[in-house]
Amino acid sequence: MRHVAYYKGCLASLSAKELDIATQALAPKVGLELEELEAVTCCGAGDIHEAEPDYYLHLNARILAYAEATGADTLMTVCNVCTLNLRQANHALKGDEALLGRVNANLVSVGAPAYSGGVEVMHFLWLVAAGEGYELLKEAAHKGLKGLKVAPFYGCQILRPSKLLGFEDPDRPESLERIIDACGGEAIDYPAKIKCCGFPIIQAREDVALAELIQPIEQAKEAGADLMVTPCPLCHLSLDAWQSKLRKQTGRDFQMPILHLSQLIGVAAGLSDSELRFKRHVVSVAPVTEKLAV
Amino acid sequence: MRAAIEAFDTGASVGVVSKLHPTRSHSGAAEGGINAALGNSAEDSPEQHAFDTVKGSDYLGDQDAIEILAQEAPGDIYQLEHWGCVFSRDDQGRLAQRPFGAAGSPRTVYSADITGHVLIHVLYEQVMKRMEQGGMTVHEEYFAWRLAVEDGRCVGVVCWDLLEGGLELVVGKSVVLATGGMGRIYRATTNAYACNGDGMAIALHAGLPLKDMEFMQFHPTTLYPSGVLITEGCRGEGGYLINRDGERFMARYAPKALELASRDVVSRSETTEIEAGRGVNGSVLLDLRHLGAERVLTRLPGSRELAMTFAGVDPIYDPIPVRPGAHYHMGGVETDNWGATELPGLYAAGEVACVSVHGANRLGGNSLMETITFGRRAGQAAAEAALADVGQHEVSGEELAKAERGLETLLARNEGERPWKIRDELGASMLENYGVFRYPERMERQLEVIAGLRERYERVVVEDKGSVFNTDLTQAIELGYMLDLAWCMVQAGLAREESRGAHSRPSDFPERDDERFLKHSITRWTDEGPELSYEEVRMTKWQPEVRTY
Amino acid sequence: MKVALKIWRYDAVAGERALREYEVDAPEEATLLDCLDLVKDRVDGTLAYRKSCRMMICGSCGMRMDGAAVLACKTRMYEIAESGHVPVISAMGNLPIVKDLVVDMEPFWRKIRAVTPWLEPGYSDPGERENVVSREEMAAIHKESLCIMCGCCVSECNSMEADPDFLGPAALAKGMRFVGDARDQARVERLQAYSEPHGIWDCTRCYFCQERCPKGVDPRDAIAKLGAEAMKEGIDSDLGAKHAKWFVTSAKTTGWLRETELVPKTQGVVRSLKEIGFAMNLLRHGKVPPPIPPHVAKHVGEARALYDLVKHEGREGAQGIVQVEKPLSRLEHGESGYEEAAARGPYGPGSFARPFLPDENETEEEAGT
Repeated sequence: MRHVAYYKGCLASLSAKELDIATQALAPKVGLELEELEAVTCCGAGDIHEAEPDYYLHLNARILAYAEATGADTLMTVCNVCTLNLRQANHALKGDEALLGRVNANLVSVGAPAYSGGVEVMHFLWLVAAGEGYELLKEAAHKGLKGLKVAPFYGCQILRPSKLLGFEDPDRPESLERIIDACGGEAIDYPAKIKCCGFPIIQAREDVALAELIQPIEQAKEAGADLMVTPCPLCHLSLDAWQSKLRKQTGRDFQMPILHLSQLIGVAAGLSDSELRFKRHVVSVAPVTEKLAV
Repeated sequence: MRAAIEAFDTGASVGVVSKLHPTRSHSGAAEGGINAALGNSAEDSPEQHAFDTVKGSDYLGDQDAIEILAQEAPGDIYQLEHWGCVFSRDDQGRLAQRPFGAAGSPRTVYSADITGHVLIHVLYEQVMKRMEQGGMTVHEEYFAWRLAVEDGRCVGVVCWDLLEGGLELVVGKSVVLATGGMGRIYRATTNAYACNGDGMAIALHAGLPLKDMEFMQFHPTTLYPSGVLITEGCRGEGGYLINRDGERFMARYAPKALELASRDVVSRSETTEIEAGRGVNGSVLLDLRHLGAERVLTRLPGSRELAMTFAGVDPIYDPIPVRPGAHYHMGGVETDNWGATELPGLYAAGEVACVSVHGANRLGGNSLMETITFGRRAGQAAAEAALADVGQHEVSGEELAKAERGLETLLARNEGERPWKIRDELGASMLENYGVFRYPERMERQLEVIAGLRERYERVVVEDKGSVFNTDLTQAIELGYMLDLAWCMVQAGLAREESRGAHSRPSDFPERDDERFLKHSITRWTDEGPELSYEEVRMTKWQPEVRTY
Repeated sequence: MKVALKIWRYDAVAGERALREYEVDAPEEATLLDCLDLVKDRVDGTLAYRKSCRMMICGSCGMRMDGAAVLACKTRMYEIAESGHVPVISAMGNLPIVKDLVVDMEPFWRKIRAVTPWLEPGYSDPGERENVVSREEMAAIHKESLCIMCGCCVSECNSMEADPDFLGPAALAKGMRFVGDARDQARVERLQAYSEPHGIWDCTRCYFCQERCPKGVDPRDAIAKLGAEAMKEGIDSDLGAKHAKWFVTSAKTTGWLRETELVPKTQGVVRSLKEIGFAMNLLRHGKVPPPIPPHVAKHVGEARALYDLVKHEGREGAQGIVQVEKPLSRLEHGESGYEEAAARGPYGPGSFARPFLPDENETEEEAGT
């Protein structure tokens, strides 16, 4: 079993609790022993990064420090935004001794541990898309997806900026497709799979965000997808919860079920309803579960 | 742009006509820096700057013009800084200055190794500011076709509108030419595609005299095979030039200045080493490894990126293969110290002009300074003349009609030769026969080659007959310009029987001959082709001396 | 090597688009631009595209290859040709096409002009010498000053695609070049202007601009810096700014984002009431976590204390945004590669000979020539 520190982030703790539940149920099946970090805060998203950049750096350093303190060498995330934020902070701290010194001095003075740069931040997607994780996933996904057509939606911040993320080619990513494949589904290709869902401005600039949001859903629908899967709970929120707004605005009722990555694998691995919590989704996942039940 | 800004500030309304968007001009590719005797880095004076320039010009530069440049340079630099130019700073927060070729004191103001870039952007910012105020218009992607001359004065420029097509006469009471150089005559050049000598050619054909056409500077450190410029700043920061054995061969050619000798000296040294078989793959090596990663990443990041992208070499770990490439043309349209040509209403500044500030060879860092200082002066003079001219001039459609007829003939042709072959042969033959070292038989040969190419050019075919963005047409016209200018260059070079500055004749006239040739060549166009005459060099303080580094 | 290209041709006069395939014989070191030149010279002289410097500095040759904006002169073709892939070349996005690969840049320049892109030094008499500005102060705008105005960022901007009036990454990065310039006296006016609709807060944070920029300007970071500076000056009435502020408040009170209150805090109570229907739908699915009791992180006191400490240290605004160039250059060489190379020294085994002066070497020939 691979011991990793587990940082779930804000959405998985609250409005996207189903993501946390599914992930925790799935983890042991793919060889991951999750040690949940408790004394941590919001990673700040792009918002604290923009509003209070120095504070953002400290908050993320604190998360990294607590992760390091568990003895694990990997901090696992389940959200694109958390991944980018933590990796960005990690690079900045690891590369600049003076900066690390100043931040550590502050951390220690408030009672948090210091950080020595010993942690690598990896999204759950990366842990199961390659290497041993992928082998275990193939084994675990025994129930399979029965050829369901799955449209992967990556979400910006797991791909770009690639110099900070760098797991795969940001323009031709394959990790989700490999996983869909391993789970027995059929991956659907469409241009908007690497574009933006609009979530960061969905409150402040709803019209602009909806004009972005419609693209992947529309294209996935037209390509014949049964469902969409995404590794980011913020993308999930906009794709799932805001579909009703798209309906209101355009009159088009897409009825496109959106799954978290952990849920997709979880379905293929035979997790129970209480572990998947599909009832928490705004757009009904029933069409998918029905197809699978047959 | 500097001229345009000054003309506007002097009170004139200004139209900037450019075949490229202004920030695309090749001045933006300049890297190493711009010279002024600020004295920030070490003891320096305009007098010292002037002397270095005179010596660098191999005593062919006009010393009154050089003194003006050296005197006014500091003020012009401060003006740029006040406009917000992003220069590199020293420890005290003042403008940093680095050592450069043939300079007695480190006086090259810089911005990492993208000085041209920051200059062109600060100038365009100031242009945009004046556009907002009204009275400054930019006609971009307007290709200069011919000068409009009526009643013995220049009244405007006939242009081809690249975006929408069609010839148009842009009228002005004064016209300032700032069209740059003509490196593209050579296959191995640092210059952009756009550097075809447009302004020089249209001035030549309008009857104006071109001065010192034979002098083309070969920059010592250009990448192979693309010819992309690797700045002199690399050597300014302490880089070494080494041959196949790792020897710093410059010690044998310029024992005091070593790698920072004058550019013509370095180019000749490199060529000698390469021809003697001590090169690597036809190049020598520029070694920055001893500078350390930190220095390279902060002071020379652009050069590093260029080396990695175009030569596959990371200078932190490996030396960069470089060789001489055509870079800067010292000659050009003859002007006085205010940028005025002999034709009323026509001014010129920058590489297209020849004041002459650079004589037979230019110092690194002086070209950018010339564009600023003499650009300003030409802009001011042109504006003052235009404002003083209160009459209304009738401009006939004559010039425009002439141009239309020429265009029609060209576009009507469907049988013939495509321009690229002629262009490639011009570039290769010029490099072979009129390069760093010049031999009489090769120069003669080159005149024959050019004659043959000009003949073939009479039958050149433009495939694109459309109006929208027809660069096939403009490229064909540019080729015509280059052929005529190449003829002028080689003819003047053959006639200059001495070695001076960038003009080197090791086999027949290896020494400088001040008795016979301490004078500028003047080329005028006739129906039979270019005709040569000579003019005195204007000397104020310095008499020619032996030139060693 | 043989290079095959598919190019989207566009005839403005007829209004027709067509995908044409071309093949040319190019040298191994050829770039996309070199290949286009070969096509234009030898195959089809009507092909239109912009070019000038061919050394990644003039910004003329921006175009899309397989849907992603690149500089044609920077794109080496060897690997692509070897792999047998035939790339599709098209004009940049978000700008009207004039012909083939040439776009109308006027909308781009209009937005640049809209951010007052010249220094406002606050004086008209420049004085005797240069302004004294420290290296650190100049370093603040180093990245933004690298911009060559090629348009690659604008081409890919997801927000601009959805809202063509968005100022966009190039214009905003240019704005930051002045906001961060110690010599500029119009900071506050600029920040107010850029905080208007279609400005800073319209950025969707897709990071496409950052990914596409061929010069490393990092426009998204520049926009974040503008946001930081604006909020530092109290210019924070935009919904986007309010949204961001609530994140900060959440972090220093409960540690976790107080999601439910995010909506009224961003949009205000009145607008939030209009969303009641939407909110009720979310509530039914458990997507609206009750604000009471608040979800508080363990040891949240540390987060609170950190906030005060950080405020006290005063690294306000854009300064706080660490741009990760130094560590990233290490990444380029690979962590071990960099150390390894540094350890063996530049003249170690396998590297080119150590340079020497002629008279240093006894066996060297006498000074020749």
